[in-house]
Amino acid sequence: MYTESTLLLGVLLTPLISAVVIALFLRKQGDIAAYLSCFSALAIACLSIQLFSIIPTGQEIYITIFKDYFQMGTFSFDLGFLINPDTLTLLFVVSFVGFWIHIFSLGYMRTDDGKARYFGGLSVFMFSMLGIVIADNLIMIFIFWELVGFSSYALISHYFKTEKAANASKKAFIVNRVGDLGFLIGIVITYWQFGTSNLLELQSIIGLEPSSTNWIIAALLMCGFIGKSAQFPLHVWLPDAMAGPTPVSALIHAATMVAAGIFFLIRIEFLFTPDVLNVIAWMGTLMAAYGGLCAITQSDIKKILAYSTLSQLGYMAAAFGLGYPGLALFHLATHAFFKGLLFLGSASVIHGCHHEQDIFKMGGLAKKMPFTTVTFAIGIAALAGVNYLSGYYSKDSILVAAYAEHTMIFWILMGSALVTAFYMGRLFWIAFFGSPKSKNAKNAKESPFVMILPLLVLSILALFGGKVAMWPENLSMSFLSDYRLINGLSDSILEDAYHQGHTLLKSIGTLAWIFGILGSLFFYGLGSKNDNLGIRMPSLFRFLDSKLLIDEFYLWYVKKVQQKLADFIHLMDLLLIGGLCVRGTAGFIGLLGYISRALHTGSIGAYVFWFASGLLLFWAYAIGIFS
Amino acid sequence: MKNVDLLLPLSIIIPALAGIFILLSKKESQGFWKSFTYIGFGFPLFSAIVLYSQFDETIHYNFKMKFLTGLEDFGITLHLGLNGISMPLFLMAGIVGFASGIYALQAKAERIRLYLFLLLIMQSGLMGVFSSIDIFFFYFFHEFALIPTFVMIGIWGGVGSRSTAMEMAIYLTLGALASLVGLLVIYTNSGMINHSFDFIALSHHLSNTPLETVLQQNIYGILLFGFGILVSLFPFHSWAPKSYSAAPTAAAMLHAGVLKKFGLYGIIQLISPLLPEGAAHWATILGWLALGNIVVIGLATISQTDLKQMVSYSSVMHMGYAFLGIASLNSIGTGGAVMLMFGHGLSVALLFLLTTCIYHRTDTFDMADMGGLASKAPVLSAFFITATMAGIGLPGFANFWGEFAVFIGIWGNESIQWMLYPAALGIVISAIYGLRAVAKVFYGQPSVNFQKHMEANTVRDLTTSEKIPALILIFSLLLAGFYPGFVSNLINRDIDGFKPDKIVEGIEQPATSIYLSHMESKNGQ
Repeated sequence: MYTESTLLLGVLLTPLISAVVIALFLRKQGDIAAYLSCFSALAIACLSIQLFSIIPTGQEIYITIFKDYFQMGTFSFDLGFLINPDTLTLLFVVSFVGFWIHIFSLGYMRTDDGKARYFGGLSVFMFSMLGIVIADNLIMIFIFWELVGFSSYALISHYFKTEKAANASKKAFIVNRVGDLGFLIGIVITYWQFGTSNLLELQSIIGLEPSSTNWIIAALLMCGFIGKSAQFPLHVWLPDAMAGPTPVSALIHAATMVAAGIFFLIRIEFLFTPDVLNVIAWMGTLMAAYGGLCAITQSDIKKILAYSTLSQLGYMAAAFGLGYPGLALFHLATHAFFKGLLFLGSASVIHGCHHEQDIFKMGGLAKKMPFTTVTFAIGIAALAGVNYLSGYYSKDSILVAAYAEHTMIFWILMGSALVTAFYMGRLFWIAFFGSPKSKNAKNAKESPFVMILPLLVLSILALFGGKVAMWPENLSMSFLSDYRLINGLSDSILEDAYHQGHTLLKSIGTLAWIFGILGSLFFYGLGSKNDNLGIRMPSLFRFLDSKLLIDEFYLWYVKKVQQKLADFIHLMDLLLIGGLCVRGTAGFIGLLGYISRALHTGSIGAYVFWFASGLLLFWAYAIGIFS
Repeated sequence: MKNVDLLLPLSIIIPALAGIFILLSKKESQGFWKSFTYIGFGFPLFSAIVLYSQFDETIHYNFKMKFLTGLEDFGITLHLGLNGISMPLFLMAGIVGFASGIYALQAKAERIRLYLFLLLIMQSGLMGVFSSIDIFFFYFFHEFALIPTFVMIGIWGGVGSRSTAMEMAIYLTLGALASLVGLLVIYTNSGMINHSFDFIALSHHLSNTPLETVLQQNIYGILLFGFGILVSLFPFHSWAPKSYSAAPTAAAMLHAGVLKKFGLYGIIQLISPLLPEGAAHWATILGWLALGNIVVIGLATISQTDLKQMVSYSSVMHMGYAFLGIASLNSIGTGGAVMLMFGHGLSVALLFLLTTCIYHRTDTFDMADMGGLASKAPVLSAFFITATMAGIGLPGFANFWGEFAVFIGIWGNESIQWMLYPAALGIVISAIYGLRAVAKVFYGQPSVNFQKHMEANTVRDLTTSEKIPALILIFSLLLAGFYPGFVSNLINRDIDGFKPDKIVEGIEQPATSIYLSHMESKNGQ
């Protein structure tokens, strides 16, 4: 126990120390800050590997490191770690992918002015993200949850001089807080319902009495997931978050943080009721389709990938909602590999093209940037689900699961798979082939070795990461049972269904990506200048490009409803409370003073008059006129 | 009596004495009055830290001391001491006082010695408020600290500050008067043979022979009105935004940060334990008013275009959480309110300080006339973002624990349970106005006016003398944020009513606070 807790503390505190040192001493020494941050990422990766090697397969370890960390009256909670195969899998993804993205950043941010700020932000992020992964109770998860939100805010606003980054960072934080609002209320109610927020205790209470959980708690906690994993209706922040540096998009807004929502769902799976699971399944399915369709009309390379991330998160949510958390986690891991790779590839392209992000202004990059092109192609193939690559195993498992559970969901997800291949093909053919369409693209050059190396490493993972046998057993435990179940490798009632449908499903899945990639080639052609969809089917293009006007709706709400209401309330506050009540009272008292002052005129005549009327009044009272 | 106990009265006297010396000194002898400023503000902080470290958890009131005042016939003695609730606030007063003091030194106000004198008088009163066991002196020290605020706003405030100072003076005096009436009614009706203002004696007596229910309810109502005005409870808040915008920075820091907590402190430490029936009676109404603070004032904060006004409104808004904690009627929520008072005092002082630093660089408080300041003043921008994050309750800062405990507490009181939903909206509202301000002031490109201003003046980053007070506040916020037990253990010890056996035997007693036992007896009926 001792070594595990030391290792875990090491994993958690290394990035924190790195961030503190950078903030205090290395603000102006960008290079040292960068090396320190990378070194801490390396240390995390090494400590994690050490941890994998000492934890026996399938063991669940819980360590309380700080009893009664915060105590108030009858409420108290401890800091602790809960390690199970799920944790180890995500720990591997975060530390390993995180490390390579740190390395990549060395090249990408080499000439940036705010280098120290950037790497300090990465370290804060690693700290908070690892906290979510190993936390053993809801409150601790919430704390780190908010902190990743903050580090995401800080990193999106890296290019703070641009209006775009300023707005995007604000939007990301506020939208996330809307989700956290439900999460927070959910935690409070959970605490009062069960008397604890510790995951293991909750699990055992609910295990004994399944009826003690209810849909309200599940739905409230789900809000946290909706915000962080950018699901409908809080998905609007993720595409905008692309205003941050591209390696940040790779790390935070594709591979790890947004996936933390899925991980959180898996962590609290036992709290969910069937109806809420059903909602999540449908929400994920529709997001898979929506994200894919939105990606088709984008021309910014990062936005295409961002909508693709939304769509893939939808797949994970669907898998979870259908009752296969293991498959969601498996897809989370492979997605982290290939989407991390794709984002880093796009970063390499953007770097090579002098910060050009419009794919219609690129073209012909295949010749100029051969390494980037090859690795990018691998990423696309893995994402599209080309047979025997990583995405194929995880996505097809989800499709099979959907087929077994719900036909409608299956067909929507299958359609989305086709769309995925289509928009990725579009991006690939337009940006990498044909002739350069701008000066920036003409002058593009291959990125330096420090950026190519992470691409190579991640493409190896994207190629082979889906082979379950390649995974260390204590990690793959997390998804193995669901995976075996779905692929007919274990004895179950599903086996027959599997054998009947599997060949067919496999063929449909294969056809989907072939049609998608070839279809986009025929439709758009190599390195085309304009968006053929916009030319051939302008109304369809406009419809897809409107993205159901959700962003416009929020903008209208913020500008016309929220702001107007706030202004109105402020005015009422000034007029009614500050004016009428406070000033009014003061005025009334002033008036009384004015009247009584008027009585004291100083002239004898007036006093005689008042004396006489008083006498009259007294007399009237005495004879009983008033009674 | 141990020697360390002497620090308590000294931390009240020394600032006042230092102030008088400064007033009497010559303007030319800068070294003289500067060093007295350091002594006057440094000593309370020093003694607060020493007292914190010497605090004995097994004793109810630490560092007790009694001074005869000649008013013993009325039951008035200067009785000082600290318990688990007042100790953190005493420490907070020391920290905020020191930060505002050294900030005031470099602010270069006109008539600087008078300015420092008034500030030191405030500081002296503040240390007295939290260390008085005697209710009379608790009230006395509050007035002692309040009067310099009016004067400072009147003299050093901006345009129209005279009428603002007047309005604030009248309004707050009304509040203070109402609370005085309430306290006097408790005093006269306590039924003690020798009438006493001593809180310990009163609480012993009243816990055995409580006041009649109706009387409790009426007194509590009056006190809630009076204290409510002082803490800017909705709808008695109108004075706050105006006064803080007009007040000179150091005074705003001390008033919004520390002095305003007087009312909350009075309710939590004195009134609710003495009048539990009254607290129960008014809880729902208090909850409604607190929601007014959070939602109504929160929305009004979003509408602000003036940075200092926004900070002022936000400080009014956050008082709603503290009141909700009190309305929860349980130790979780009430303790959370104390925790929040600690955090809020530090964070709002930091915000006022940094707002003035921004003003010195932009020459305006209008956020529309700023923009892009982060590239000119990166440290200022990092500090301001930190302060904003602390204010909106990000984990890692003291405020988070306060707000969180309040949220937990609300759900524990079934009659106001539903208020959790609208109250939690506050975390979104505060994020909206906080981050908007950051984006408008620091991000993007400079506005046209600010561009012009920058061409005419050089805009520098924070100077060292501005950095130091800010760093002190940030450090304290982070300390209590990362190690909440630093503050919460003390609060937790006393929030249920102090039970010595709980600590000595190390056995967790069932919660039998005055509140809880009251609630239980009600449910039993």
